Amino acid sequence: MSNAVRRIVIGTFIAAAAAALAGAGLEAQSVKITDPTSVVMIVNRDSNDIGFMDIKSRKMIGSVFLGNNVNPHMVMMSPDGRYVVTGGTRANKAFIIDTRTLQLVKVIPTDIAPEHLAFSPDSRWYYQGNPDGDSISVIDMQSLSRIKTIPGFAEPLNVTFTPDGSKAYVGNYGAHWVGVIDVRRHELLKKIQIGQIPGVAKLDPSKYLGEIKGINIAAPSIDGRYLYAADSDLAVVGVIDTREDKVIKTIRVGRDPWRIYMSHDGKYGITANNGDETITIIDTRSNSVAATLEAGPAMTGVNFAGGKAYVISSTSGFVYVYDMSSLKPAGRIRIGTNVQLETATTDAQDRKIYLAESTNHEVVIIDSRDNSLERVKNVGLFPWGTHIMDSKDNYCH
Amino acid sequence: MQSRTYRPAIAVAVVSMLAGCASAAAAQAPAAQAPATQAPMNMATMDHRGGIRGTVRGANGTPVADTAVTAVNTVNGARFEAMTDAQGAYALGALPVGSYNVTVLSAGLTAFRRQGVEITADQSTQLDITLDAASAAQAADAERQELLQQLADLKQRVADLESNTVLSEPETRVRRVEVFVDASGNEHDEQVPGSKPAVTYRRERVYRRQTISEKIEEALADAEEHSVGIGVDAAITTQFAKRTKGDTSLVDKRAYALASADLFFTAGIAQHTVFFADIVALSGAPPDAEIPRLTLLNGYTARLVRQNELNLREVWLRTELFGQRLALTTGRLDLTNYFDRNALSNDESTQFLSDALVNNQMLGLSSNGTGVAAEFDPKNGFRLKFGLQQSNTDATSLSDSMYTLSEAGYTFTPFALPEGTYRVWLRTDNTSAATRKAVGLSVDQKLTNAVGLFARYGTQDLDDDGRDHYFSAGLGFQHGFIFNPQDTWGVGFARMKMQSGDRETLVEGYYNLLLTERLRMSFHLSHVLETPAGGEQFGYLLPGVRLQAAF
Repeated sequence: MSNAVRRIVIGTFIAAAAAALAGAGLEAQSVKITDPTSVVMIVNRDSNDIGFMDIKSRKMIGSVFLGNNVNPHMVMMSPDGRYVVTGGTRANKAFIIDTRTLQLVKVIPTDIAPEHLAFSPDSRWYYQGNPDGDSISVIDMQSLSRIKTIPGFAEPLNVTFTPDGSKAYVGNYGAHWVGVIDVRRHELLKKIQIGQIPGVAKLDPSKYLGEIKGINIAAPSIDGRYLYAADSDLAVVGVIDTREDKVIKTIRVGRDPWRIYMSHDGKYGITANNGDETITIIDTRSNSVAATLEAGPAMTGVNFAGGKAYVISSTSGFVYVYDMSSLKPAGRIRIGTNVQLETATTDAQDRKIYLAESTNHEVVIIDSRDNSLERVKNVGLFPWGTHIMDSKDNYCH
Repeated sequence: MQSRTYRPAIAVAVVSMLAGCASAAAAQAPAAQAPATQAPMNMATMDHRGGIRGTVRGANGTPVADTAVTAVNTVNGARFEAMTDAQGAYALGALPVGSYNVTVLSAGLTAFRRQGVEITADQSTQLDITLDAASAAQAADAERQELLQQLADLKQRVADLESNTVLSEPETRVRRVEVFVDASGNEHDEQVPGSKPAVTYRRERVYRRQTISEKIEEALADAEEHSVGIGVDAAITTQFAKRTKGDTSLVDKRAYALASADLFFTAGIAQHTVFFADIVALSGAPPDAEIPRLTLLNGYTARLVRQNELNLREVWLRTELFGQRLALTTGRLDLTNYFDRNALSNDESTQFLSDALVNNQMLGLSSNGTGVAAEFDPKNGFRLKFGLQQSNTDATSLSDSMYTLSEAGYTFTPFALPEGTYRVWLRTDNTSAATRKAVGLSVDQKLTNAVGLFARYGTQDLDDDGRDHYFSAGLGFQHGFIFNPQDTWGVGFARMKMQSGDRETLVEGYYNLLLTERLRMSFHLSHVLETPAGGEQFGYLLPGVRLQAAF
């Protein structure tokens, strides 16, 4: 082999190797998350971004800026882990983020003030509730496009899909009914009335004509057969049989229940009653009240971990704790003074709770084994909520 | 280093090759697209435009003369028009390149419409039009679709306009933060060698878009937080007394009415610290003024100091310490308000009217005075309370009129029942030499979500080795057997047995109707049987109505 040929061969080999290495480096650099279950997503209302925190190291591994004055409300990962989505309340848009690269891949117009959202179990449909638009935007996650806007709701807050994905139930905070959507046709099929307005309502126009505080969510039982929907004005929880789509029992609870939260073992549901600052624990086997216990003001969420229920009192700076085996109070955890607590998610192991604390822009991690606290600061401005894939406590305000 | 120089070289070569191919294709294109049947455009004057030409005929094939053929650019809306001649021919000769919607109007209606007619440079497109029923139907459908699209666009614009009607100015907030100050007085966000932690307040701006209503709500909430809160609790109770047993010299068939109004003031004055004042005025005559009895037949009578006068009932400061586990209340108090707070029988304004079913009669103390109450509540079900108060307003020192109460309580869910609270308390009082100590129990236990059981017991020591006893029990109904969702009702029984020989047995039932959030009306029926020591037993039936407003 002549020197000239040898040089060409060696040069070509080196060039090819360098090109391959450069390509691999680019690939490694663009992939930020390899395991979707390894991160906590944080929706930051005032820095208008979604933050991603590594669960093990507690380090922020990235954030996706959505745009000025977007004010995202709730973040959720698709069940297949491929996308992270949020509704920009003041932008009237849905934002689609690629989970692996943390790239904002699509911005889709919705109706007015998108807030809470849900995915169909097969990850195909992303239903975005638009409380001010009284509608649900249907987004096809294959084409990443809005294929329909379902009208006819009244301040729709939360959407719950049945396990087989054939129907979706919508809590209407501006009404006293739960909407049933046929997911195949994306049409509102039925309105299930949760409770009747009492006869004395006409004597109290300031309560009943001023504002409706209706249904936040229809929360599913562990097998998905039943749904539990709390109505704030009526102070009841309606139990819906999803086979017949009708209320089979109405349970009276404390005043102004914000919504119901289901325990991970399916035995209990807890309503956070902001009217009388209590919680009502409902036994789902008998569909009756097991206990009504004192709690705190302005409750925004309930998480379950380590056999206990953690009730977030947003304005008091406390998280109230209840032992779910004895159904009695188990103390309260002081998160801070003059702080505002938002919502939280529980990890998939049911051990740690990731609580958004907006005043100091931090996420507070509560270890349910000993109720100890760990703080992750500077996660973004005004962290409003958190989300972990496969968590059983993924909710928003 | 090699790859950095090598890769651009490859890229340049590829780009050059692609550009060359494109140039060659572009050079060949005009020749390939030249229509054989149409005359070439005048390249000097037509500015590389195109055109549409053709004929317009009726359904039977006859030419349609003097009819306008219109072409509208689908992108910019530019509109071009040509008239048909006697043979029905028309020509739109110089259309800018683009896509056009072509329409023909007949008798004011769109008789033909073709969407998306593409015009390319230097070419004339042939479009022969036949005005028949099918073309008219197609045109109408296309127009409808266009109208719907316009409506959708308009709705989107209105929605955008509505959502943009918000305040986008930066919001300013102040935060309490921990910083680090070094020996030179320089402030650092992170700890540096020689620095010490210090707390300061820092302003921050955030870009949050708020609606005008959100801004107004925030301002109103802020104003309310810094203002003095005023509350009113007013009630009028009307009772009728019918003697059922006893001496005819006792009053019979009398009507009574007592009106009470409490005015509350509350204000937050420091961290976890509240000021409270309660001014009360009463007017009227309760049955207790005429009927001799051991306990008050109208619980409001306990508030009556002097009729038609304003009286300062309570004024105190309350603060919470040690992580808000310990609450201290100090000022002019009614200490019995803080103890034995039975959930089903402790409120004369919404539950029973008879004092025997409102308060444990062995608690004693009927006058408010200066004192302090401490409550330790770790929120785990246990509660500990202690309080002391001046029990005699005429006493010259607190030492001479010391009234104390201590209580331990526990809330839990026993025997698979809903929650219940169990309390035990101890009272001491050095004002009266005769009754220095008392102990009591109080239970409220829910049996179901609708029914609760309450029971009280109290006994007090007497110096002459005797004891007074009090007992009460009953049921309260909250969510069941009611007319309206927030109504409550209950039945109760109370018995007093005094060492002196006096006895009292009382039963009462009530139904409390929640008319509005601020207005309640309740109906009461009670019967009391009094047995004075050495005297003749007598009894009264007392139906009554209470109207209560609280706001």
